[in-house]
Amino acid sequence: MTGWHLDDDIVRRYAEGTDSLTEGASIEQHLLSCGPCRARVNAAASVTELSVIDLAAVWDRTRDTIEVPRPSGFERLLRAAGLPAHEARLVAVASAFRSAWLTGVAAILAFATLAAAVGHAHGLWLFLAVAPIMPCLVVASSYDPWLDPALAPELVTPYPALRLVLLRTIAVLALALPVVLVLGLAIPGQTAFAWLLPAVGFVAVVLAASTWFSPLRSAIAVSSAWLAVVWLLAARSGSPDTMLQTRAQVGFLVLAVASFVIFLVRRQRLRQLRPWR
Amino acid sequence: MTSASLELRDVGRSFGSTRALADVDLDLKAGVTGLLGPNGAGKTTLLRLLATALPPTQGQVRVLGLDPEVPAERTGIRRQLGYLPQEVGFPRGFTAFAFVDYIALLKEWTRPAARHAEVRRVLGLVGLSDLGSKRIRAMSGGQRRRVALAQALLGSPSVLILDEPTTGVDPEQRVVLRTVLAEIARTSVVVLSTHQTEDVAALCERVIVLDRGRVRYDGPVTDLVAQAAGRVWLADEPDPAASVSWRTGTGRYRNVGGRVRDGAEHVEPTLEDAYLLLRGGPAENRVEHETSEEVAS
Repeated sequence: MTGWHLDDDIVRRYAEGTDSLTEGASIEQHLLSCGPCRARVNAAASVTELSVIDLAAVWDRTRDTIEVPRPSGFERLLRAAGLPAHEARLVAVASAFRSAWLTGVAAILAFATLAAAVGHAHGLWLFLAVAPIMPCLVVASSYDPWLDPALAPELVTPYPALRLVLLRTIAVLALALPVVLVLGLAIPGQTAFAWLLPAVGFVAVVLAASTWFSPLRSAIAVSSAWLAVVWLLAARSGSPDTMLQTRAQVGFLVLAVASFVIFLVRRQRLRQLRPWR
Repeated sequence: MTSASLELRDVGRSFGSTRALADVDLDLKAGVTGLLGPNGAGKTTLLRLLATALPPTQGQVRVLGLDPEVPAERTGIRRQLGYLPQEVGFPRGFTAFAFVDYIALLKEWTRPAARHAEVRRVLGLVGLSDLGSKRIRAMSGGQRRRVALAQALLGSPSVLILDEPTTGVDPEQRVVLRTVLAEIARTSVVVLSTHQTEDVAALCERVIVLDRGRVRYDGPVTDLVAQAAGRVWLADEPDPAASVSWRTGTGRYRNVGGRVRDGAEHVEPTLEDAYLLLRGGPAENRVEHETSEEVAS
């Protein structure tokens, strides 16, 4: 930042190691912020043959270690699944994929599973209430401009926002579905799998709804509606098995397909692209 | 590549029944252009139109010869554009480096080594080399503003749109930023809005003054300043003949506009004087003073 640089004599003494302790400390302080002087020390060190190290490269590696954010476990998983490194980072960087959030979601699901596994009908209802809405809540929070301001239309970048939204959605589904499936195995009977189609359906509804409203609001509205429906069904002392009936499952499939079609038709009206309909 | 340019033809923008911008015709070339104007004059709206963050409701915008209404051309513009919005939201928990690195990814810097070097370069330009690993939430307002500015500088864009880049930035850093922007403006179109007339005077060859959505002045800074020649004077008291007066560091009053008394101590006008003169101050007051003077004489 300052125009001041080490003079040749100091550079030579430092490179030879004949500088005093205090002098060395202040030289190093300057070198921290001065690329040109680092290059000169490097050159001087080569000449004196004390060490031939590419200081610049060492410096960059050191800074990388300190500054470059370490890939999260999820990011490494995405890379292992074949996503290019830069897109894995773009997907994983969303707040929704922080370990704290994911741990919270997993804990809620585990609790619901436990309740269901005990075998009581109320436990099963709880699982059927919670499991289908978790994926759509995580999807919405993965691209909501409020949680990820870099996805607000205000920050104009060439990367297609639509692609990012879909990548993050697929990532959520790829992460959530196996986890909930495994948890479902802990529950006796087949009712445990009744949540699968509603979960996919709700994700599609949230995608479609976020061409009108904010993703988070859409997900909260869908979740509240679902909780109300489950509560009503449970209150009318219906058996959780009603969810497994073909009629109900076909209904969810239709909801999923219809919502996804609406989303595709209206995709240019996604909030992230909104000013340019 | 042709030289960088921006064109606006008869451009207007309304929000509901509010007209934020009307009948704007501009051609902008490489160099720094400053936008001045009171709050609500349409500066931010104009910058958002230029930055492809908002479509016009009337007229045509062309950035580097490309039409932002066409998706493919819009992406083409965004590849060569740096934009600093008035407000930048930062994702929670991000460090300065992580944020700029994230934006660099969205700007298609796919190779890690080149991207990291570029992130370091722009953080260095805004004087934040040593704060890359600091969390943005723990930074001061001026530092955050510089992080936001750093992302706009990624890739040395051909078009740089800056909405109040120096807000909250301390005077020393402002001087550094001026040097950086002047360097970029040798080959790029830089348009910035500010309330700091010193920034415009120090940086811009050209100034555009907006008022209630319309262009009030568009031309060289020197010409605008020249308009105030002979209409700025110092006195021991605020002069009722002036349209604007304020106390200076020496304790005397700087008077701008109105009718200059005989024997008044004239001073060199600054851009701020000229801007205030153009804005007219409270015009009714001036008439009132003139009438009362006539009555007195």
